[in-house]
Amino acid sequence: MITLRGLTKRFGGVTAVDDLTVEIRPGQVTGFLGPNGAGKSTTMRMVLGLDRPTAGSALVNGRDYRTLRHPLYEVGALLDATGVHPARSGAAHLRAMARSNGVPARRVAEVLDLVGLDTRAAGKPGRALSLGMGQRLGIAGALLGDPRVLLLDEPVNGLDPDGVRWIRGFTRRLADEGRTVLISSHLMSEMQQTADRVVVLGRGRLVADAPLAELIAARPAASVRVRGPEPAALAALGDRLAAEGATVTADGDGLAVAGSTAGRVGDLAYELGVRLHELTPVAPSLEEAFLELTAGSVEFAAGPTGGGTR
Amino acid sequence: MTTSSTLDRSRPASRPAPAGHPLAGAVAAEWTKLWSVRSTWWTLLAALVTMAATAAQLAIYAVNANTDDDPTVNPGVLDVGDVVAGSLELTQFVVIGLGLFAITSEFATGTIRTTLRCTPSRSRVLAAKATVVGAVTFGVGLLLGAVGAGVARPVLGEWGRAPLGATVADVLACAAYLALVGVLALGLAAALRGPVLTLTVLLALLYIVPLSLQEPDITVLTRIADAFPGVAGTHFLAGDTAPYPAAVGLLLLAGWTGAALTLGRWALARRDA
Repeated sequence: MITLRGLTKRFGGVTAVDDLTVEIRPGQVTGFLGPNGAGKSTTMRMVLGLDRPTAGSALVNGRDYRTLRHPLYEVGALLDATGVHPARSGAAHLRAMARSNGVPARRVAEVLDLVGLDTRAAGKPGRALSLGMGQRLGIAGALLGDPRVLLLDEPVNGLDPDGVRWIRGFTRRLADEGRTVLISSHLMSEMQQTADRVVVLGRGRLVADAPLAELIAARPAASVRVRGPEPAALAALGDRLAAEGATVTADGDGLAVAGSTAGRVGDLAYELGVRLHELTPVAPSLEEAFLELTAGSVEFAAGPTGGGTR
Repeated sequence: MTTSSTLDRSRPASRPAPAGHPLAGAVAAEWTKLWSVRSTWWTLLAALVTMAATAAQLAIYAVNANTDDDPTVNPGVLDVGDVVAGSLELTQFVVIGLGLFAITSEFATGTIRTTLRCTPSRSRVLAAKATVVGAVTFGVGLLLGAVGAGVARPVLGEWGRAPLGATVADVLACAAYLALVGVLALGLAAALRGPVLTLTVLLALLYIVPLSLQEPDITVLTRIADAFPGVAGTHFLAGDTAPYPAAVGLLLLAGWTGAALTLGRWALARRDA
C-alpha cells in the first residue's frame, strides 16, 4: 500500500507535483500514467525518500521510507537509471545491495535467475550492459528482499518484445501474490495490457484515478471513415446518414461517420450507387482517451520530447 | 528467458526482515562496493609507487646534504620515520582520492540513489562510508609506512637509523594521519559533491591558506595557521612540543574531520538525491 496525501514538490518556481492525494492498493497492478514531465518520476522519488516533499506526505505501508531499517524487504524499485556503477559488475552491484539489507547471498543468484540473466551477463561491468539487460538487472535488484511493494519506472523501456511480454506476465504474477505494484509509463497502450487501475497525472496534478475498465468505457465513441472519388455522391451519402441519426463530419476528402456502422454505411452506398475507395471502422484507442484526459497538461506540446528523466 | 520460475507462492508476500543492525549491513555494502571497482586497486598501486619514490628521493637528499661541504645544511643522522612522514606530503593526495571517490563517484554515476534506497538514513550511509574509508586508509597507511621505511633505510645508509619502537610509532602516526585526512576528504566531498571542487577546498585547507597566513611571520596569523588541519597534522607527525603537544595536533585534525562529516551529513539530509 502506498499512500500519498497532499504530496507536493516544487523545484524553485516550478511545481512538479501538485497536491497529489492517491492510494495505491495491494493485489493489483496500478498504472501510473502521464506525459513526459508530468511528475511521475518525481512522485516515485519522493515515495523512495530520495526527494523531499515540499508539502504533504508519501507513505509506504504506513511508514516514511526514510525511517525504514531494511527497506529492500518492504519496497523494491526500478528507477529510470538502473543505478549500476559503470565499472562495477552487475553481480557485485547486487551483492552490495543484498549485504546492505542483510539479504542472504544466495538470493542474488535467485533473482538473477528470475529475471533471466546468466552468470556471463551478470559479470559484465555496468557500462557494457545493454538497456534491456540494465532493466532486468534493475528488476533483479528490486526483487532482492522479496518486498510487498514494487515501484517500476518505465520498466519496458529498451526491452525487446519478448522482454515486454515477460514484464507483463511477471508484474501480473507479483500483483496476484498480493503485492502492491505501481508501474509508470507515458504510453497508455502499455497499460491497456497490464494495469487493473490507472492513476493519470498531468502537469503534476491528478487527472484520473479509476479502474481501467471505467476509463475504457468513458472513451469517445467509435466511428467509420468513408472516402470516395465523387464528392457530390459522397455528400448525398452523408445527408442520408445524417437523416438516419448519424453524426457526419468532413474528414479531409472523405467523411467521418459516428453513430453508425461500417455495414450500414456500405449498404447505403450500394443502394445509392456511390463509389467508395475506403470504408474503415475506427475504434478510438485508449491512447486517445488518455490524450483527451491530459490535453492541455502536456509540458512541451509539439516541442521536441524532453524532460521526464533526471 | 525464465518464465517458469516465479517467486515462491508458499511463502507470505514478504520475507521477515533480518535482525542484524542496518549499520553493519551498510558497512559491508560499502566494503563490497570499494573492492569491486578496479580503480581502488590502481589507487593503492599508485600510492605505493609514490611512497617508494618519494621516500627514496628524500633519503637521497638527506645523504647528499650530509656529504656537502657546507656544515650548516647538515641534518645529521636521520630517523627513517622522519623520511616516511615527509613523504606523506605528496603521497597523501593519492590516498585522499580513496575518501573522495567513495562518494563523488556515486554522485557522478547516479549510484547514490541506489545507496540511499538501500540505506535511507543519511547518517548511517555516511557513518558506513567513514568506517570503511577510515579503516582502509589506516591499513594503507601502515603498508605505506612499512614500504617507506623499507626503501629509506638502505638509501640512508650510515646517515639513517631505525630504532624499532620509534619507527613503529612513526608508522602508526602516519596511518592515523592518513585515516583522518581520508575521512576529512569524504565528509567534504559529501557536502560539495564534485571531486574537483572538493580537492580545491582540501588543498586550500591543507596548504594554501595556512601557508599564506604563515608567510608574513605575524604571530597572530601564524597561531591561526597552526589551527589548520594540515599544519596540525604536521605537528602531530613531527612529534612537536611547540606550539602545542603532538597529541593536540592529532585532536585538532580529528576535530576538522568531525566537522567535515557533520557538514556532509547535513548536506546529504537536506538535498534531493
